[in-house]
Amino acid sequence: MFVEYVVAGYGISAIVLAAYVGWTLRRGRALSRQVPADRRRFLRD
Amino acid sequence: MTSIAVPPSAPEHTGSRLTRVLGAATAVSWVVWLTYGLVLSPADVVQSESVRLFYLHVPLALSAYLGFTVTLVGSILVLRKNSAFWDQMAGAGAEVGLVLAGLVLVTGALWGRPTWGTYWVWDPRITATTLLFLVYLGYLVVRRLDLDAEVRARRAAVFGIVAFINVPITRYSVQIWNSLHQEATLSLTDTEMDGSQLTSFALGAIAMALFTTWLIIHRFRVGWLEYELDRSGLESAILERRGERTATEVV
Amino acid sequence: MTDHHDEGATSGDELDLRPRTDATDTTPPTRRRSWGAYALLGLVGVAIVAVLGIALTQATVFFYNVDEALERQAELGDDTFRMQGSVVTETEVRDDGALLFTIGFDGEQADIVHVGDEPSDLFEVGIPVVVQGRWETDGHFLSEQILVKHSETYEAENQDRLDDAYDGADG
Repeated sequence: MFVEYVVAGYGISAIVLAAYVGWTLRRGRALSRQVPADRRRFLRD
Repeated sequence: MTSIAVPPSAPEHTGSRLTRVLGAATAVSWVVWLTYGLVLSPADVVQSESVRLFYLHVPLALSAYLGFTVTLVGSILVLRKNSAFWDQMAGAGAEVGLVLAGLVLVTGALWGRPTWGTYWVWDPRITATTLLFLVYLGYLVVRRLDLDAEVRARRAAVFGIVAFINVPITRYSVQIWNSLHQEATLSLTDTEMDGSQLTSFALGAIAMALFTTWLIIHRFRVGWLEYELDRSGLESAILERRGERTATEVV
Repeated sequence: MTDHHDEGATSGDELDLRPRTDATDTTPPTRRRSWGAYALLGLVGVAIVAVLGIALTQATVFFYNVDEALERQAELGDDTFRMQGSVVTETEVRDDGALLFTIGFDGEQADIVHVGDEPSDLFEVGIPVVVQGRWETDGHFLSEQILVKHSETYEAENQDRLDDAYDGADG
């Protein structure tokens, strides 16, 4: 009983989180190409 | 913080050994959590399958509080040390927390419909969570105001500290006011939950907290790169003017 | 040159940081003051005030328990409010479709006539509910919405069998 609500809850959460993670990682890649290497502090460890 | 001078081989992404370790731990914990919570653990006697939303909804809320706590700590350190590092950390915590808080409202609605009989009602905790969401949305807008960077960081920091009042209000709203929300199921003295359900919830809380930590670090690094890009833009503009002056002197 | 705005700089290295205002400079400013964020902040502010309004009028007195609602019956008149209690009796369905049942809290009971949507599937004798509606003059409560307030107690289906299985595995 109520399986459809469980599927919707986990499904929507998965989609939203995956989209946000994808946006963050892609933006990180794009920006790190624009910032000179000697200024890319805090990107390691 | 000073030891992080980057060698010429600086990576062209926001990953590092730390995020890879955290990412691997997140992946393992999510597989264990979802397998146990969605497949292996039994349904609830009263709530049937809908109890599985508990294993998602509450960990999302706890991790949203985690993000907002990062904002609180970052904001305090911005005011005390004028730290650009902590300014970006505060912003990262709030943005990740806001995404999670939005999902708390969505999963709550989807849990409310089959159990309470409604998606939405202005219950104290739903109202408090809505306010929490709006206040941190406001915080993120303040971070985008067109102001001098340091002024903006300090104003955002004050906002980030005041906004945190909403976290304990939301957390304890079910004890303070009559609420449709059940009172805390889990307490040190008397936990009203069977073992397999408690395990599912605990796994969810750990899995979501690991994920949140991993994501905040990545989001912080994106913010830091934006900050550096802004700064190098400003510096190149100054260099340009210096160049102009040298040119006129030569002529 | 009488103005002297940077005391720290050595005269030879002084850099003109004043904004360019001369007419010959035709390059557009790199950044225009943007008001979009301020407008958005205003919108968020309005939303916060609206939700705060709801919070102070509705959420803080989300419901009365049956005993409180009975005590305040005169004062409440025909106002709409919410009342909480546990379902005491099996529900009867009247010819017109209305649901008739009794809820109780702390020894006090109230008869409910419900005319709205059906409650959630969890509705049954013994479960706490919050009904929204008003007192009728004949003393019963006319409900338009039933919310099921499930308790904070969770119990897994067949947990006993699971426990037995684990015990069996241990032994």
